[in-house]
Amino acid sequence: MSEMANTDPEGIDAVRMTWNVWPRTKVEASACVIPLAVSIAPIRSHPDIPTLPYAPLRCKSCFSALNAFARVDFTAKIWICPFCYQRNHFPPHYAMISETNLPCELYPQYTTVQYSLQANPDPNNPSNVPQLPPVFVFVLDTCMIEEELGFVKSAMKQALGLLPEHALVGFVSFGTQAHVHELGFSDISKVYVFRGNKEISKEQVLEQLGLGSAGRRPTAGYPKGLQNGHSNTGVNRFLLPASDCEYTLNSLLDELQTDQWPVQPGNRASRCTGVALSVATGLLGACMPGTGARIIALVGGPCTEGPGTIVSKDLSEPVRSHKDLDKDAAPYFKKAVRFYDSLAKQLVSQGHVLDLFASALDQVGVAEMKVAVERTGGLVVLAESFGHSVFKGSFRRMFKDGEQSLGLCFNGLLEINCSKDIKIQGVIGPCTSLEKKGPNVSDTVIGEGSTSAWKMCGLDKSTCLTVLFDISSTERSNAPGTANSQLYLQFLTSYQDPEGKRMLRVTTLTRQWVDSAVSTEELVHGFDQEAAAVVMARVTSLKMEMEDVFDATRWLDRNLIRVCSKFGEYRKDDASSFTLNPCFSLFPQFMFNLRRSQFVQVFNNSPDETAYFRMLLNRENITNAAVMIQPSLISYSFNSLPQPALLDVASISADRILLLDAYFSIVIFHGMTIAQWRNMGYQSQPEHQAFSHLLQAPHIDAQMIIQERFPVPRLVVCDQHGSQARFLLAKLNPSATYNNSIDMTAGSDIIFTDDVSLQIFFEHLQKLAVQS
Amino acid sequence: MAAPVPPGAPRPGANARQQSPHPNFNPNFQTNPNSLADNMQNMNLNRPHSMPNSGPRPSPFGQPPPFPQSSVTAGFPVASPPMSRPGPPPGMVGRPAVIPAGPLQSTLPANVPPGRPVGLPVSHPPPFGSRPPPASLSSSTGGAVLPSSAFPSSGVSSAAAAPPPPGTRPSSFVSSSPLIGGPAGPMSSARAGPSSNGPPAVGAGALPGAPQFPPPAIVSQPPVGPPPSMMSARAPAQAPTMRSVLGSSAASSPQTPPLPSASSPFPAMTQARPPPPGSPYGPQTWSMQPQQGTQPSHIPGSTHAQPPRMFGMPQQALPNQAMTNIPPALGQPGAPMSGSSKIDPNQIPRPIPNATPIVYETRHGNSANPPPPATSDYIVRDTGNCSPRYMRCTINQIPCTGDLLTTSAMQLALLVQPMSLPHPSEDPIQVVDFGESGPVRCSRCKGYINPFMKFIDQGRKFICNLCGFTDDTPRDYHCNLGPDGRRRDADERPELCRGTVEFVASKEYMVRDPMPAVYFFLIDVSMNAVQTGATAAACSAINQVISDLPEGTRTQVGIATFDSTIHFYNLKRALQQPLMLIVPDIQDVYTPLETDVIVQLSECRQHLELLLENIPTMFQTSTTAESCFGAAIKAAFLAMKSTGGKLLVFQSVLPSVGIGALSSREAEGRTNISASEKEAHKLLQPADKILKTMAIEFAEYQVCVDVFVTTQTYVDIASISVIPRTTGGQVYYYYPFSAVSDPAKLYNDLRWNITRPQGFEAVMRVRCSQGIQVQDYSGNFCKRIPTDVDLAGIDCDKCILVTLKHDDKLQDGSECGFQCALLYTTVYGQRRIRVTNLSLPCTNMLSNLFRSADLDTQFTCFLKQAAIEIPTCPLLQVRDHVTNLCINILLSYRKFCATVSSTGQLILPEALKLLPLYTLALIKSRGLRNDGRIDDRSFWFNYVSSLSTPLAIPLVYPRMFAIHNVDTKDGDESVLPPTIPLSSEHVCDDGIYLLENGEDALIYFGSSVDSSILQQLFGFTSVDDVPTQFVMQQFSNPLSKNFNDVVNVIRQQRCSYLRFALCKKGDPSGMAFVSCMVEDKNANGPSYVEFLVHIHRQIQMKMS
Repeated sequence: MSEMANTDPEGIDAVRMTWNVWPRTKVEASACVIPLAVSIAPIRSHPDIPTLPYAPLRCKSCFSALNAFARVDFTAKIWICPFCYQRNHFPPHYAMISETNLPCELYPQYTTVQYSLQANPDPNNPSNVPQLPPVFVFVLDTCMIEEELGFVKSAMKQALGLLPEHALVGFVSFGTQAHVHELGFSDISKVYVFRGNKEISKEQVLEQLGLGSAGRRPTAGYPKGLQNGHSNTGVNRFLLPASDCEYTLNSLLDELQTDQWPVQPGNRASRCTGVALSVATGLLGACMPGTGARIIALVGGPCTEGPGTIVSKDLSEPVRSHKDLDKDAAPYFKKAVRFYDSLAKQLVSQGHVLDLFASALDQVGVAEMKVAVERTGGLVVLAESFGHSVFKGSFRRMFKDGEQSLGLCFNGLLEINCSKDIKIQGVIGPCTSLEKKGPNVSDTVIGEGSTSAWKMCGLDKSTCLTVLFDISSTERSNAPGTANSQLYLQFLTSYQDPEGKRMLRVTTLTRQWVDSAVSTEELVHGFDQEAAAVVMARVTSLKMEMEDVFDATRWLDRNLIRVCSKFGEYRKDDASSFTLNPCFSLFPQFMFNLRRSQFVQVFNNSPDETAYFRMLLNRENITNAAVMIQPSLISYSFNSLPQPALLDVASISADRILLLDAYFSIVIFHGMTIAQWRNMGYQSQPEHQAFSHLLQAPHIDAQMIIQERFPVPRLVVCDQHGSQARFLLAKLNPSATYNNSIDMTAGSDIIFTDDVSLQIFFEHLQKLAVQS
Repeated sequence: MAAPVPPGAPRPGANARQQSPHPNFNPNFQTNPNSLADNMQNMNLNRPHSMPNSGPRPSPFGQPPPFPQSSVTAGFPVASPPMSRPGPPPGMVGRPAVIPAGPLQSTLPANVPPGRPVGLPVSHPPPFGSRPPPASLSSSTGGAVLPSSAFPSSGVSSAAAAPPPPGTRPSSFVSSSPLIGGPAGPMSSARAGPSSNGPPAVGAGALPGAPQFPPPAIVSQPPVGPPPSMMSARAPAQAPTMRSVLGSSAASSPQTPPLPSASSPFPAMTQARPPPPGSPYGPQTWSMQPQQGTQPSHIPGSTHAQPPRMFGMPQQALPNQAMTNIPPALGQPGAPMSGSSKIDPNQIPRPIPNATPIVYETRHGNSANPPPPATSDYIVRDTGNCSPRYMRCTINQIPCTGDLLTTSAMQLALLVQPMSLPHPSEDPIQVVDFGESGPVRCSRCKGYINPFMKFIDQGRKFICNLCGFTDDTPRDYHCNLGPDGRRRDADERPELCRGTVEFVASKEYMVRDPMPAVYFFLIDVSMNAVQTGATAAACSAINQVISDLPEGTRTQVGIATFDSTIHFYNLKRALQQPLMLIVPDIQDVYTPLETDVIVQLSECRQHLELLLENIPTMFQTSTTAESCFGAAIKAAFLAMKSTGGKLLVFQSVLPSVGIGALSSREAEGRTNISASEKEAHKLLQPADKILKTMAIEFAEYQVCVDVFVTTQTYVDIASISVIPRTTGGQVYYYYPFSAVSDPAKLYNDLRWNITRPQGFEAVMRVRCSQGIQVQDYSGNFCKRIPTDVDLAGIDCDKCILVTLKHDDKLQDGSECGFQCALLYTTVYGQRRIRVTNLSLPCTNMLSNLFRSADLDTQFTCFLKQAAIEIPTCPLLQVRDHVTNLCINILLSYRKFCATVSSTGQLILPEALKLLPLYTLALIKSRGLRNDGRIDDRSFWFNYVSSLSTPLAIPLVYPRMFAIHNVDTKDGDESVLPPTIPLSSEHVCDDGIYLLENGEDALIYFGSSVDSSILQQLFGFTSVDDVPTQFVMQQFSNPLSKNFNDVVNVIRQQRCSYLRFALCKKGDPSGMAFVSCMVEDKNANGPSYVEFLVHIHRQIQMKMS
């Protein structure tokens, strides 16, 4: 299944499932090895999705929305809910319904429909509906060198110019202490200073900013509405419409200095990221509930002060590594995670988002902050410097409008309804469980579980969730089974769109039950290898994080062997007889690459990077996530059009240019000869225009990828045998290493590794799969 | 009492003579302390720069020395005699002034009247008077007769008469001669004098008045004479003994006889003490009074225009009555009242200011010279002992045993004011630099080298005068001894010939580099503060004062404001405008910046000025009523922690939130009456320990806090004041704050606060010779170890009480040394050790103790101890305690030093004759009254804790002047009109009076004041138009000009701008004035006369 071939495997529903046909019993399901999972991008836009200006009908029993799979009795004006078989009467305004006059949601092709909800529709003047302006609170680190601060200031100024005029803006800067800038005070620049080393509760923040109940006491007698208005005026001291405060903010940024607290030699700067974030969170807590708001944290180093500290100030103590985490030798880690966990809870309860832009050569604590970012559906970008294109591009992209818009939405709420016998284990991805119990909630929890509803404080059109299902263990499938050969899943996502409108999107899916005990054929054909690989990667990552002693490689190998044993065709104990159905044929290679990927081989990366990779793995769609696991490689040469190449060292050739897309980085790799030609300047000679085109082609393609992607990937341009070439070599199958490269052809390459190659991996796999 | 003692005779002549010479002596009391002058020039207080040492201030007043002949002197003469006697020994010697004394001398024993001061009547008689001369008040009033010398004093008038008796004097005092009907008469006259204090005064009056008196006086004198013996003995010194007999005449009569006897005993003593140097002064003081009053008579020729001051006038009539009646009264214990009524209030002892400064040498002829009264104007020549401005002892001779001290019932304590402002004519303190080795010190007790260390063995060793240890002289400090046993270089080395020197501190005295001069201003901007104008007043005051801060790069400033949060300001020059940094966590504060909150003044002047202009408007619309005082000072402290410095806080409301928040306890106390009655004093204690703990931490980091309370409500000064007290700062209290009249005072107070001589990060220790040890220190400081006091800030106005106790016997005839060492950093960053030495003779004679008692110091000591008790004891108890202290001293004197057997007379030691008056005033003072507001009382006893001796007296016994006739004085030396006794009898309905206590000034309008006078002085024509708020204005007429001159002189004297209040009769404001009339009977206590009767009765009871 090449992604090139199928550009939209997800369709109108934006859904991919590991199994498109479901086994009927829990036993059979577990025999399938690969979990039953649905990957859904809940608000991905699609031209075919209708938007309906009214609210959906909901089943009075299970509260699922009316959908195309409901059986409708047009004469009785009744519909039967496919999930619970409840008979529901149509309300009066559906009186016109008939077989020829169907509402949009009943059209079979519209398995996904969108409803536009307005809280208080004003029939007389619909345009006058109060819109909730989005709120942006910038939280800026000032513990950095002047140059970096300059970069980040100019990025911020740019961003301010891009914000919608009505968006409310707040500003918090921090170093040793956190400074909340009161933008609405004109006499003098006014800043509230919070000490960096003390944990501070939301109530304290509100009270200390004069937004607390104490501050409001005088108006206690006022009617509710006014009181709300009053609290708003309080907040408006700190949050001003972008158009009103752009000048103030710009001059404030001009005067902003790096943190003035002295740093002892041999010490890290004192940086109270944790307090700054809790203060920003507290500030937003004074906003009206339900207001979409995001905290945009620009962090230039590790938190060393107060809650959320990840490392001591002493430079002789390095920031924790995976080894330290493994050995439990990271004294600050657990405490910091606990802190960010509570911060996440607060943000979620307020419905606000934390975005993290971390730019530093060393780690800044993404691993600890991951929980807060991921639970709130925040964006995360990790770069080396605020001057680097990864940061600059991504940051600008975030505020871009129109085509390039990320479509940042707020306050999402996902609910899942499903047929009886189906249990929801949980969701992996940027959301938080709302702990809403129900009959469909499994006791086994994976990710955000124990619920049938999730909060997504921030979500955008590419946000993707993985929902893991299980089959009920009760063996009653026979009776109902005969009655229902179809299973139904319904995803309801309500959210506030970038314009501030309240939307609800309903996606209803149906799939077939099969009795895999009889035959696996249907099951095999319903298998989505790519989705399965990604789900395995996500589950593996989750287990690595959650389980103390977890040998990921071993676990993956065992599962792969089980898959091959179950679905391969072979004679027992005869490795050479082993064949795999095409529906499974790519899966082992995915697993091979997953085993070698940054997700499993974490020791090559810092905990921050690992956390970053995993967050993106969890929130990207299947296609992109697959690229993270198994990068795509395209080869450019004079002789042919650009074509995909094997992800193998053998693809390297002196006269080719390779374009590797590893999602986080894009590598343009010039073969030796090409590099020489280029160095000699042939591309600028008119007679070698073709060469010039050849050189440009991968760059053009790379730019296309970069434009599409958020965060902006890192672009590496390198030559064969250059030092940067390692970015490519690390991803290639080491079919040729110094161990076996006896017959090396000119222009090819070898990889200095002891890792096994794909071929050897396969050999072992076959052997093990056929063992009895 | 009046006993002007000078042994009588000489007076007249003496006066005349003395006058000229004396001038020095008398100081006019404070006509102008230079310091004042400097400070106060016109509204502005001082000049800034006074360096600590800087001696020279431009003293405007040149007067001091020269005063000579002022009429006043005339009065003195009398005094002089006394002086002369005792005087001689002491400092007198040196002075030329003495000369006049000469005549006296003759009379007197050897003491040459060193003239010191003798002649001059120092304003306060007592002080000098170390002399013992007890003045006996004749019955109630005092008929104070002076013992011989007394006489003179006693009534001056009498004195006049007295002169003749002089001879008698010796015997003494007469005064009392009660009996003598005749005598009584005289007595009375005398008394009259006394009463005023006056005997002198009386005298004056009397004299002119009539011959009548004279005779009596004379008579009395004779009796006196005998006592005088005692007196004489003492008298010599001062002679001021007055005895006033409380008892009326009756009493007096009996007394007389006794007196003599008494005298006899004394005589011995006295004689012993011929030298009582102190005495000279004493007399002087008194004499002064007399002068005024008396002088005329005495020196007919002399100028006295004023003779009849208040005192004198009334006397005539009264005297007679008093005499007759008194006796009975006294006799009958039951009827003191009646008796009292008979006493002539004008004759009771009262302080009499002197007009011209005297020159005072601290040692004379190798012995200590008793200092002039603290309240007088004097110029010190440091001849070995320190100037009394820096350190003075309650008794100028040290009792050899603790038992003797106990018997005397007096306090033995030092009042130390190490940075005290010198007189402009005095030599500056010399600075001695020993280089890296630091000053020479005793290796055992670490005492610093001083003139009393005795070099022996050809100068190779020296014996420490403090611990007696023999040390080797450092080689490079060696010098041979001269034939007199002194080092040959003694006179070239200040540390060997001056009582006070300053050593440059070497490295070992520094734990860090000397700190910069850091000034941090903290301003309340809560709603109330802004709306009452307090914020604007503070900002404007600070803005004006910035230019007075020390120049240079060592001066740093910071500023913050606070309401329910704390607002710091980043004053860094790079910023376009100051940045406001708010610290909102007032439970757990911190500083918002490490560096830019406190900036070099030179770098932020413009920002600062701009900011100060903006602050009032910036918070104009604030609706924040809360104030987080505690948190704010804590935050400011944190900002200053690394350097230390001065924190100046402007607070307007009760601190209601944040650390150390306070509740409105006063109101709670009112609602819960039963508890409040019993526990009333608890409201005067700090509400909790939080502020105390903070204060100790501040002190540790050398942060000195001054709080300017500009309020219209209760702010719980009892709690707030803990901070300034512990850190060496002080509280300024503007209640009720007025945006009209208070800003000028606020500015002047702030300016003086910043510009007065001061030091930072100081440590002080007092060492004493073996046999005496320091018992305790009290004042505004922090004490972490028993021997030292830590002073985050010390300035010229701060005084520390050091109580002493015996741990061994002292040798009679030896000297006991005291050394106060103050290690501090100047505002310019030099580390210095100021060493102040005092060496006093030891004595076994009780009479010597009484003779050398220092009234002002004794009383200040009482005052401070009472202030300490106020928050912990019920008021009644404190008042009784104070009264008993007074009674016990007088009892001891009566029992052991006076020979009087009759119970009819109240006999007062000359030196302490004003003690009853001051005690009475103290009992009626704001701190000891129960009708006062809690905050007023808290402020009062806190104010007292650091109060210097010269200001302590007026605080309880303010000065009152008539100002409706200030244009009528003749063009003599003194700008100040004569003072008026604090009795409503002296307040006329058609008069306008100014009453000042060094801090507050009340202007009282009688109900029928001439409207043209009103118009001239104040610009309105009717008493009904008297405004509630007052701003001094000068109109173009002589009356107004003189009035302004008077006020300015007072301001200079007090180093205070004075807080004016206008009072009119029948108004609550009038009540405030009336309550200052301490001699009147009112709800807070008896009249002066009644009080004397009470004391007398108590003594009689205890005697029997």
